[in-house]
Amino acid sequence: MAKELEGKTRRVVSPVADICEAGGKVILRLEMPGVSKDDLDVKIENDELIIEGKREPTDSKGRFIIRERRNADFARRYTLDDTIDRDKVEAVMKNGVLHLTLHLKEASKPKKIEVKTK
Amino acid sequence: MDLIKWKPTELFDPLAEFDRIREEFDRIFGMEPMITGLFDRVRSPAIDLVENDDAFVVTCDLPGVELKDLEVSIANNVLTIKGEKKDTREVKDAKVYRQESWFGSFQRTLSLPNTVDPDKIEAVMKDGVLKVTLPKKEEVKPKQIAVKVS
Repeated sequence: MAKELEGKTRRVVSPVADICEAGGKVILRLEMPGVSKDDLDVKIENDELIIEGKREPTDSKGRFIIRERRNADFARRYTLDDTIDRDKVEAVMKNGVLHLTLHLKEASKPKKIEVKTK
Repeated sequence: MDLIKWKPTELFDPLAEFDRIREEFDRIFGMEPMITGLFDRVRSPAIDLVENDDAFVVTCDLPGVELKDLEVSIANNVLTIKGEKKDTREVKDAKVYRQESWFGSFQRTLSLPNTVDPDKIEAVMKDGVLKVTLPKKEEVKPKQIAVKVS
């Protein structure tokens, strides 16, 4: 009973994220240690980028002498604006780090407007 | 004994807030620690240390750390996990919008009781999590003693 309840009420934390933009691409780097490729779910739903990763619960057999790691799953959501191409999202999972590459739409790449002085 | 103090990396961590408040109090009342670890840094990897009947198990979160940049060693019952976390993004001239992670060298040491068998230690790295199993020596493992009725 307790175990069942524990499974349902498992906590969720935000993965540590780095976001940068370079060469028409937006690159997200999310640290999700303990999440394998198969336990990861990345989707776009109604202008929202949803990233969810499940990981094994920490070992409950035995006595904890030090407990610093969070016994929780990972989840984070981002809103996307119209400049992001929904059909061109690349995701690579390596060593517990998710690398997401979002491409900016060709048409919405900013055109530089020259500012003149009179 | 922990040489390096760990600070949580998660955002909006209430525990970290308590830590911060305590540090603030310590600062106000002049109770700042006079001694800090040599390898103290703002952030170091989080670990779990679990003892069960057969072994001690150390689990360490090391996302993005390559196997070649990681070193695990034991000397005089002191386990050392050290390495370097490198930025793997291959981008130049990036505009950074958010930077929450850290890169650089890290080190953690753990003193273990002398009941650990140093020849049977196993370390496995999977999905950015390091798991070191340190089996106890045979003679210290708990044995069931059958109690007989006389």
